Amino acid sequence: MALFTKKISAVKVPHHKNTAAVASVVAPPPPEVLIPTNMQSGDACVPIVSVGDKVKVGQVIAKAGSRNSVPLHATVSGTVTAIEPYKLTGRAAEAIRIQSDGKMERDPSLAPPVVKDLDSFLQAVNDSGVVGLGGAAFPVWAKLDAIRKNPIPTVLVNGAECEPYITSDHRMMLEHADWIKKGIELLKEYLHSEEFIIGIEKNKPDAIEHLTQVFAGDSAVRVMPLESVYPQGAKQVLLYNATGKVVGPGQRLASLGVIIINVTSLAMVGRYFTDGTPLVSRSITVDGSAVSEPKNIEFPIGTPISYVFEQCGGLKNSPRKIIYGGAMMGKTVTDLNAPVLKATNAILAFDEKDSSKKPAAPCIHCGRCVEACPLNLNPTEFSHAMEIDDEDRRAEILNREQVSLCMECGCCSFVCPAHRPLAENNTAARGFIRKYNAAKKEGGK
Amino acid sequence: MEVNLISSASPHIHSGSSSRLIMADVIIALLPAAVASVILFGTYALWMILVCIASAVVSEFVFNAVTAKEQTLGDLSAVVTGLLLALNLSTNVALWQGALGACFAIFVVKCLFGGMGHNFANPAITARVFLLLAFSSVAGGANPIINAGVDAVSSATPLELITQGSTDALPALKDMFLGLRGGTIGETCILALLVGYVYLVARKVIKWYIPAIFVCTVFVCSWIITGSLNLALYEILSGGLILGAVFMATDYVTTPIHAGGRMLFALGCGLITVAIRFVFSYPEGVSFSILFMNILTPWIEKLTRNRPLGGV
Repeated sequence: MALFTKKISAVKVPHHKNTAAVASVVAPPPPEVLIPTNMQSGDACVPIVSVGDKVKVGQVIAKAGSRNSVPLHATVSGTVTAIEPYKLTGRAAEAIRIQSDGKMERDPSLAPPVVKDLDSFLQAVNDSGVVGLGGAAFPVWAKLDAIRKNPIPTVLVNGAECEPYITSDHRMMLEHADWIKKGIELLKEYLHSEEFIIGIEKNKPDAIEHLTQVFAGDSAVRVMPLESVYPQGAKQVLLYNATGKVVGPGQRLASLGVIIINVTSLAMVGRYFTDGTPLVSRSITVDGSAVSEPKNIEFPIGTPISYVFEQCGGLKNSPRKIIYGGAMMGKTVTDLNAPVLKATNAILAFDEKDSSKKPAAPCIHCGRCVEACPLNLNPTEFSHAMEIDDEDRRAEILNREQVSLCMECGCCSFVCPAHRPLAENNTAARGFIRKYNAAKKEGGK
Repeated sequence: MEVNLISSASPHIHSGSSSRLIMADVIIALLPAAVASVILFGTYALWMILVCIASAVVSEFVFNAVTAKEQTLGDLSAVVTGLLLALNLSTNVALWQGALGACFAIFVVKCLFGGMGHNFANPAITARVFLLLAFSSVAGGANPIINAGVDAVSSATPLELITQGSTDALPALKDMFLGLRGGTIGETCILALLVGYVYLVARKVIKWYIPAIFVCTVFVCSWIITGSLNLALYEILSGGLILGAVFMATDYVTTPIHAGGRMLFALGCGLITVAIRFVFSYPEGVSFSILFMNILTPWIEKLTRNRPLGGV
């Protein structure tokens, strides 16, 4: 292990972990679900049911797409009423609408998978439909598939949950350590991983204590308390703070012999191997100043968010902003019929006061964004570059300043005293440089 | 319930900091020095402060009004500029000269370069240097109205005394620390300036090491050059060193953005101050050193870029 003393700490954000102490509950089935085929980061799934088909919970309704994809399962029992076009964050795809019969009848064929080797194990993880549930939505099987290229001795289980408000991973660690344990056993057996580090921020002392007890007899598993600083759970930050390693430019994390897996993703894989339930539902944190009863509550994937709020005492204080995910990195959603997705770990609703942003003032060059950036980037340079009309000159600066490393954690915008939309600008700059560099490559051939 | 949802980019929360709060902190940190200036130099100091602030504020207001720009007085930076300039002038300077300086600082140095955040040099320092070149009364300083037992006839500042070799006429170090010596109204009371320094560091407005490196550089170099610890102490308590190091070398807009660059900037300020004081036998080096380093800032930026984590 590399010698290091200084941990990366970016910014202290308010925790707002209002729902941490409350046991999560299971919601009654919604009248209808809408299941998009592109909830995973890879290719969209291909529906294999038709309108009018009767489906049961856990039944496969769409097969995996060709690349980095997973199958989709019915999340309620009932009737397929539509297969309709659906646009999810810019990527057009389809969505399968199922009217619930309210019975939540399980597909009788669901059973824990029987696996004998790596191939059948990875296939089973694929069948589980589990993707990165912390927000990345990258299929877990595809992540584990890296074992075919090089050994993966170290597994970082990400239970940092550094985003404000969100406590769904926290509750998962307290309530379903058995699934996490099962997941770790599977990785030990099929990936031959030797070291498991469960990283948890210190603002979750009960989870640290609980998992330490659960894994007390297992020398391969270490629960690592981490400072409660944002973005502790980001790939590069967690990797560095837990192991001292850094993923270099163009390098893949797995090539360092490490994978990082979200604790809930791992638990869901463990669950599939325990009772045969694929990823058909998930617990989400519902919170924010416009939510009457904040809580962690489990819904079938595809539940409309209007129903989510209904189950949380309804909305109050005239909501102005609804967010999929956390307050730092979450994406706003303006349609109350939008569904809960696989990677939706939280839904936040804010009132007018919490939704408003102050107008941007001129940059005073205070350097707080530079200091806050966990990756040592300089957001002010990106801002200046984006004001340059000459695209070649702009690209030269953005490439030199390595904007493509930005992970859009939002620390720069959070600390900016001039309220400049730095993170937003970084996103635009990354988009520009991706296109520009691709075009240059094309032209160079 | 009526639901009218907006869409916006993340992050959706903010630390609550603002440029205005930062400027307010700087003003608070300057208050001890301002109060000390009135105690030491009388009501004329108060008038100087009020006139410079008023002139700075009015200049900015008029510029924005004439050029049809949004009014920016709310960010309080014009107040800071006016106050800083006043503290950099002595009671030998006429009030109208102070007003002219503040007008120059805001109008020429700040607004013509694009306003807040766009000036390359510190407005207060540039204005002081402008006044220094325009009016001979600005050079040096005046004695406080409180008699500290020093020869009241001589209005020479400690730095001038050191340059002349009349070190016997220097006030006691204790008096130097409390401000009982000739100089500009805000630079003499080191105690008040240090209170401001501690406040700014505690409020995380400035980095502790910028003034520390600047002052230490001057101290160490002076000690080596003069061979006298005593004189080195006089050197750092004299002139505008502490005022400049705490409040001007830490100006965000005109100094480098990275920690390494800021250290280099402070070191450069210290070395140039020493060079001006000893090599060129010119007593006041601080203003020129900061101004010079302001100009070098873009080059320092290039030298001191961070290496991103996971980058090349």
